[in-house]
Amino acid sequence: MIFNSIRWRLQAWHSLILIVVLTGFGVTAYRVARGNQLRRIDQELQQRLMIAFRPGPPAGPHLPKGPPPEGQPPPDRPLQDRRPNDFGHEHDPSAWRQHMQEVIAHAGALEGGQTNAFYYLVWQRDGTLQASSSGAPKNVPMPAETGPAEREFGDRPGAITRTRGAFREFCICLPFGDRALVGRSMASDLAAMHRLALWLFAAGSAVLAFGTAGGWWVATRAIRPIEDISATAVKIAGGDLSQRINASDTESELGRLAGVLNSTFARLDAAFANQVRFTADASHELRTPVSVILSQAQTALSRERGPAEYRETLEACQRAAQRMRKLIESLLELARLDAGQERMKQESFDLSRVARDCVELVRPLAADRGVEIRCDLPAVECMGDSERIGQVVTNLLSNAIHFNHEKGEVRVFARSDNDTASLSVADTGVGIPPEELPHIFERFYRVDKSRSRIQGKTGLGLAICKAIVEAHSGAISVTSQTGVGTTFEVRLPAGSRLA
Amino acid sequence: MRVLIVEDEPDLLGSLLQAVREDGYAADGAADGEEGLYKAESCDYDAILLDVMLPGVDGWEVLRRLRKTKKTPVLMLTARDAVRDRVKGLDTGADDYVVKPFDVDELLARLRALIRRSASEAQPRLEIGEVLIDMAARTVTLRGELVTLTAREYALLEFLALHRGKLVTRTMLYEHLFDENDNTLSNLLDVHVSNLRKKLGHEFITTRRGHGYSIDSAL
Repeated sequence: MIFNSIRWRLQAWHSLILIVVLTGFGVTAYRVARGNQLRRIDQELQQRLMIAFRPGPPAGPHLPKGPPPEGQPPPDRPLQDRRPNDFGHEHDPSAWRQHMQEVIAHAGALEGGQTNAFYYLVWQRDGTLQASSSGAPKNVPMPAETGPAEREFGDRPGAITRTRGAFREFCICLPFGDRALVGRSMASDLAAMHRLALWLFAAGSAVLAFGTAGGWWVATRAIRPIEDISATAVKIAGGDLSQRINASDTESELGRLAGVLNSTFARLDAAFANQVRFTADASHELRTPVSVILSQAQTALSRERGPAEYRETLEACQRAAQRMRKLIESLLELARLDAGQERMKQESFDLSRVARDCVELVRPLAADRGVEIRCDLPAVECMGDSERIGQVVTNLLSNAIHFNHEKGEVRVFARSDNDTASLSVADTGVGIPPEELPHIFERFYRVDKSRSRIQGKTGLGLAICKAIVEAHSGAISVTSQTGVGTTFEVRLPAGSRLA
Repeated sequence: MRVLIVEDEPDLLGSLLQAVREDGYAADGAADGEEGLYKAESCDYDAILLDVMLPGVDGWEVLRRLRKTKKTPVLMLTARDAVRDRVKGLDTGADDYVVKPFDVDELLARLRALIRRSASEAQPRLEIGEVLIDMAARTVTLRGELVTLTAREYALLEFLALHRGKLVTRTMLYEHLFDENDNTLSNLLDVHVSNLRKKLGHEFITTRRGHGYSIDSAL
């Protein structure tokens, strides 16, 4: 399913977040702009009302005539708190109302002909419309003192701001329970707000489109290395272990991942090739003795033979069978060591004592070949399985004797460091060429094929040695000089005398 | 017919030499690639059994070097039956291969077929006049009657028959019928020829005095 792909999911999340952010931004911008506009209108309305119902002594042509209050300047009270006296009509409602009518007429006249013209209305307490300016709409309901109107200027009791259709109106209480209202049409403001909304929507859509396209591009770029890795992994899973991921950008996270995968693949490849080679070698090594037995037996049986010939055949078969037995034992031992099934004892023992026992074991062989064995074996305690270590030492000694010159010499010496015990077996043989050295612990690897087979070596001896030593958390190493000799060194964890 | 066997496992080489000799061939052995190559180049063998895994120069290399100078039929002995190995062997110029462990009878049959093919005789039966040679069964009949031949006599007859119409020199016969273990007494060859003549008719084998022998292809 393509919509389950990471790219699609990335894209979906990206677009979703973009939509939420853009919508939030657009709505907020619109609300702020609208709020600002309303506030501006409201301030205008208030100002108009203040100007129209300016308190104090009549001044200017629009103010009512009458005697100014003597000796007392009008108190600067909020409009709705003013008493008729402030306007010079303390006790005469009819004069007051007359005055109001004049004020309104005058204010309306000032607005005449302007767009967004303000209109003024005054009601008596009982709701009768007492005065209205020339541009005022008909049938404007008298605002109740309280009600559903917005109380944005709630700091003034009795002052009400309301939106009525496309009109914005501001209303206050006047003396004698009258109400005054100033309002104006918001049609042009609403149209502007509408344009703003449209513009915000268009801009938001454009940003969303660009953002989505950019996101798709980024997602594609980000995904491409993953797709490369995936494609390579598919090929490798298909059996082509030589495939590698093209990791050009090694600094990025994916580059590092590709690097790690590549080295894993390389190790896998090497291990697999090793396994294939090992299987082929093992099969070859097993086929040869079987071929001997089969051809010897079939040739012998093809006609009547004398006892001596039968004996020869049986001896050849026996040699082949013994070689197979040794090979199978070695293979099984290696398999067990590989699987970690061989349990190594953990006991403290004297490495030198084990080495001396092994030297005694191979002395007849050395005597046969005229090889002298020299020992330098001070007591060296180490931890491990003395029997298995003895097997390793015997193997190294037998190699040292086999690959030595006639009348050569084998030196065995032990040493001990702080935390390691080491045993070295040095011969004076032909040595191993440097290019062969890294391979000599490999299974079935033979430096000199012609000699090894004759001497009945399986080609697994050193591989087993290495496996045993490594099972002891030790290490085996080799140094060699062609024509001078070879030295194998086994290092094992040191044992404590107390143990 | 003389065969070279290159095999590094002494017990296997011994039994192969014995089996091939008992099948009527002269057979030489070589224990490694160098020796095998030297022998193959210095003598005209009728076939070579070549092991792949040899110490020193391996079988592929021996074959590659040999093919520069000789067309001797080669039967590879391999312990690996991977298709890649077979293809490699056939591509390098091997004529056939046998996978170890093999049946000796199968090996000998393949060897006979290989030698026959190299002499451009696809058929295992050769009819020359009244003599019929069955190279698969290694039997000879004269006018329908089975003729009993020794292995050496049969080998001599087969060699002459495969080269019928041509002069076969005494040197050729010594090279192809006797191996390095045989005493090459010169009169021994004459004894075998005279025995064959007694059994198949005096005119069957013509003597070119001083040169060698031949069987007339027009018989």
